[in-house]
Amino acid sequence: MSALEIKHLFGLRGVSKHDIRMILDNAKQFREILERPVKKVPSLRGMTVVNLFFENSTRTRTSFELAEKRLSADTVNFTSSNSSVKKGETLVDTLRNIEAMKIDIVVVRHKGTGVPKFLADNSNAIIVNAGDGAHEHPTQALLDMLTVEEKLGTLEGKNVTIVGDIRHSRVARSNLWGMTTMGAHVTLCGPSTLVPRNTELMDMVTWESDVKKAVKNADAIIALRLQKERMDDALLPSMREYRNTFGITHDLLENVKDQVLVMHPGPINRGVELDSEIADGENSVILNQVTNGVAVRMAVLYLLAGGRANA
Amino acid sequence: MRNIVLNNVRPFVDGKIAEPTKICLVDGAWASSAPEGTPEFDAKGAIALPALFGLGLDFKEPLRDDIYTFKDGVEAMRRGGFYGGLYESCANAIDDSLKLAAIQQISAKCGLSFAFLGAFSMGYQCKDLAEMVELSEGGVVGFGDGNQNCARTRFLRLAMEYGSMTGKRFFFMPLDDSLRHHGLVHEGCYADTLGMKGIPRIAETMEVFRILEMARFLKVPVHFKQVSCGETLKLIERARTQGVDVTCDVDIYHLLLDDSCLFDLDSHCNVPMPFRSAEDREALWQGLESGTVNAISVNHDPVLRQDKEVNFEDAVPGAVSLEVALPAIWKPLCTRLSAARAVELLSTAPAQLAGIEPARLKQGGQASLVLLDPDAETEVTSSMFAGKTRNCPLLGKKLPSRILGTYINGTWTEE
Repeated sequence: MSALEIKHLFGLRGVSKHDIRMILDNAKQFREILERPVKKVPSLRGMTVVNLFFENSTRTRTSFELAEKRLSADTVNFTSSNSSVKKGETLVDTLRNIEAMKIDIVVVRHKGTGVPKFLADNSNAIIVNAGDGAHEHPTQALLDMLTVEEKLGTLEGKNVTIVGDIRHSRVARSNLWGMTTMGAHVTLCGPSTLVPRNTELMDMVTWESDVKKAVKNADAIIALRLQKERMDDALLPSMREYRNTFGITHDLLENVKDQVLVMHPGPINRGVELDSEIADGENSVILNQVTNGVAVRMAVLYLLAGGRANA
Repeated sequence: MRNIVLNNVRPFVDGKIAEPTKICLVDGAWASSAPEGTPEFDAKGAIALPALFGLGLDFKEPLRDDIYTFKDGVEAMRRGGFYGGLYESCANAIDDSLKLAAIQQISAKCGLSFAFLGAFSMGYQCKDLAEMVELSEGGVVGFGDGNQNCARTRFLRLAMEYGSMTGKRFFFMPLDDSLRHHGLVHEGCYADTLGMKGIPRIAETMEVFRILEMARFLKVPVHFKQVSCGETLKLIERARTQGVDVTCDVDIYHLLLDDSCLFDLDSHCNVPMPFRSAEDREALWQGLESGTVNAISVNHDPVLRQDKEVNFEDAVPGAVSLEVALPAIWKPLCTRLSAARAVELLSTAPAQLAGIEPARLKQGGQASLVLLDPDAETEVTSSMFAGKTRNCPLLGKKLPSRILGTYINGTWTEE
């Protein structure tokens, strides 16, 4: 097996096309396995994976846990709500204690940018980023890419539009790096208070403030979840105005490509960023994303563990 | 060691670096000769600069002596070639004469030259005025509320108005808390790429503008600490042409680093005033050249190891600098400025801002000096630092110059 160039998965910025291709190709194979009656393979038998979640998560943690179990790994869940972190233990001490229990892989989610890299700098475990602040959420972007490839055959030359709270979105950041590396044209669109102001280092994508223009030629539209805290922080006046201006609605989709894919990282605020009839409609591939999430995470864990075994 | 003879040394005398000579340092002064048997040191052409004066010292004692003490700070000053400094602690507001007397007593035992800023509000809370007249009579050289932002403009007016009776300068680290919000780093392309909450330049410039207007209105002298962006310097220049008595300093690390260092996510680069863009850094250098910037500050702010050995955003802001300041900045300074201007920025001007007699090298006079090999590198290691903190953004880096020894208030310390 050819190895990944990366030793950990911190994010998709700087990850090569070779590595992303390898993850997606492996994920396709795991996707087939997930359709079988027996969905388990012995690839990570004897390895221990710790899911170290300092932020609440149901979907991502469950998806990782399923991926680990289907690779036959032993899994341990560690959440900040029931951990020594509440007793004042530092992040590095938490990691070193867990590592002393002879674990192999750590899947981490944390509110702080760069925590996965920090953990890798301070341990020997393989680190997989399950979301760090507003920085990156690489497995979400990989599953989005897998979904587009599965439905449209390729990412090369496809137009992908991401709509919503770009400024605070780790999903948007990982997607813009990953999708553009794989040859897609990415357009980002959101209210002026929810898009970054300084985009010089992200100039490989198109920034568009008019959602109608942003989706006009899209092959796939990713609607981002709008968090209620944005209203409390005066970044937006109301959910209502957001829905009317940036929501993915039936009216908006009247003038787009017939086969456009509608995607969402979940959980959906129905009637805000995405109308129910669209979320449940024929263009929606949201549940495919969820299934692909398990396959992509299996591929990431398998390839990173394989790289370590081959080292 | 009280006495030393430095051979083959090039002293900074009368505004320039002189030819190699011999300096006899006896009982704190540059003597014409030394007693027989005085140890000698071959400087091998190194330069002897007047010892430096540090703006922005915070040694944490007494309330946070678990982090750092005056003893640690004084040791750091000796290692870095500082004979004195302007002390203002974020941990200990000097807001009454008893606290001032206590800290003066601690510092007096150290044998170095300290000046102190008093708080203008009790506990830096911007609620009750500190007894500024009494603090002034006790010897504070100015007033400041640590690095706190005084959000209540009326209180600021009253504090400056009351404090104007003393004739002392008011010191501010200008950052508007509301615009800063939860920001930790410069709001620029690196922060936006990393998804980190940024501090916009206008958080600084709007605060500078507010304080300059107040200074103009009340005719009170003000000083801006750790200016970080070019727009601020323009506001200061304009205010000066309108007669406002305003001075400012630039932090040493802001001259060496910009926000591109964020990609390393090194928690040592988490500092109270964010590293701004490369353009801002260049504007600060131009401010040194033009004279808009009065002095270079060090802002020595120790942070415990466990408070830095975390991810960037959870780290306690702050950096230590005394031990590395001169070897880090001397060569960059001398590539753009004269040696005389460099000495002015690091030694003379900071001392004058603090009302302390500047260090000068002159045969027959008192001498505190730092011996620097401008062309020998220094590798920044943990062992360089006094005390138990090592929170230096340059840790692990190589500095372009090297301190060979210091002679501070009559004590020779060889590296």
